[in-house]
Amino acid sequence: MASQVRSRNAMVEWWAWLGLVPFFLFGIAFEIIPVLTLVRSSLTSQGTFTLQNFERALTPIFIESFRNSLQLSATTALLGVVFGTIVAYAIITTPSPIVRNALTALADVTTNFGGAPLAFAFIVVLGSTGVVTLILKAIGIQLYPNTFRIYSIQGLTLAYLYFQLPLMILLIIPSLLGLRREWREAAINLGASPWQYWVRVALPILLPSLLGGFLLLFANAFGAYATAWTLTGPDVNLVTIQIAALVRGEVQLDPALADALAILSLLIMTLCVAGYQWLGGHAPKAAR
Amino acid sequence: MKDHGIGRIIVITLFLAFMLIPFLATVLFSISGRWDRTIFPEGLTLEWWNKVTSRSAFETTLTNSFIVSLATMLALAILVTPTAYWAHIRVPRGKPFIEFLTVIPFGIPGVVLALSLIRFYSTVPLPLINTPTILVAACMVIALPFMYRPVANALDAIDIHMLTEAAQSLGAGWRQTLWRVIIPNIMPGIISGCLLVFSTVFAEFTLANLLVGTRFKTFPIYLVEFTRFDGRQASALAVISFVIAWLTSLLIIGIAGRSGKPAEALGAR
Repeated sequence: MASQVRSRNAMVEWWAWLGLVPFFLFGIAFEIIPVLTLVRSSLTSQGTFTLQNFERALTPIFIESFRNSLQLSATTALLGVVFGTIVAYAIITTPSPIVRNALTALADVTTNFGGAPLAFAFIVVLGSTGVVTLILKAIGIQLYPNTFRIYSIQGLTLAYLYFQLPLMILLIIPSLLGLRREWREAAINLGASPWQYWVRVALPILLPSLLGGFLLLFANAFGAYATAWTLTGPDVNLVTIQIAALVRGEVQLDPALADALAILSLLIMTLCVAGYQWLGGHAPKAAR
Repeated sequence: MKDHGIGRIIVITLFLAFMLIPFLATVLFSISGRWDRTIFPEGLTLEWWNKVTSRSAFETTLTNSFIVSLATMLALAILVTPTAYWAHIRVPRGKPFIEFLTVIPFGIPGVVLALSLIRFYSTVPLPLINTPTILVAACMVIALPFMYRPVANALDAIDIHMLTEAAQSLGAGWRQTLWRVIIPNIMPGIISGCLLVFSTVFAEFTLANLLVGTRFKTFPIYLVEFTRFDGRQASALAVISFVIAWLTSLLIIGIAGRSGKPAEALGAR
């Protein structure tokens, strides 16, 4: 009987694929076909192939939305990578395992969190009568109306970091653990300063993970909508805000234009996620 | 080495402050009296909590969110578990296709997913548009990786070939093998997948707002409405969202040690 199972495994009968049909049907019905519908309608006008919709999408307001989205994603991804790596290093070098696990758990819990409640929490903290705003005012730092506003792209940067930072921490911890102590000792024995060790040895090893982290964080921020919508409404012009406005029909425009915007952002996201996957395949495996 | 320790403590303190102050401030804000001119609130009160929880919309939206989250969770568990097992044991060549479908959601922004579903399903004669059903389907798409990864990891961690052979040599059919042998062995994976799906869908605003909007109000939609006109009551709702999300995550950590791979953390932004 056992050998029978094994021989059946070796040669997969065609009907065994039937078991996967429900899953594939779901994927085709709710992922593939809807996305292909978008691709097609963005590339056609009155039934013929055209790039017109993309040309028309290059109006100043949409160009600005892409610039803002790219800038916000790049800034929060970069800050997330830098600070996330620093905090992750601080976490793994903490001697107490209880503290270490508690901090990792905190990153785990907070990275699954975002959207409306997060945006609102930042209004409570740094809004015009926010808790920290009041404390800073008491010590003589006036944030409002000129220095800082939470309802702006700087405010969004700060709020996005709330989920970017823990995501980077979780991504980079395995790679940091993969840095062997022997490598550091060898470098120091050969006369390297700690600085030289980091720049010449550790960072090159970490580079694929750092780049991969950057791409994933970038995609994470680029696709975000709920946080921005709750915090700034239509005030900050982002791609996702524009697309959502088109979906809700708040702006009267032809559908093909919304589809073109959607396809452009889909391309950016896909490149990031594909890049992350590709780098993931090349990341150091020392952590295992 | 000594200054290293101080640097570490500073970094960790700043990290803790950044991660905890928004939550703690929101909790305090939801139970405080007037608090817009002094550093500390002028008294404590449960007024906002009483007000917001006594509205009928509070119960309705909370119930709606539970319905959508539980429906998505169950549907995904039923769809993914047998598929993952079958692919692992009988159709390994099908795995790349399955994995492709579970990676796609990471590349689709919520607004684009909503747009694409509206575009396609408004052209076919199916009564899906504007219904909670399409919301559940959309939530299933974004939560698919959260369900698949833990289940697939659990399947990789046990010797499913040996278990299957043992079960079948004792006369069990495929269904019995799955139900009585495989599922009990991968239960932690299924449960942490379910919890991840639940917390993601429960917090989902984008899809709910664009696909059903006011026709089937979910809790995050209710919260966003309140942020526009009553911050105090909104803060109580935000605390509830924080607590539900954090509790589910802690439960997952308790069950699985970690809430899955970081790449799975892209959720309701």
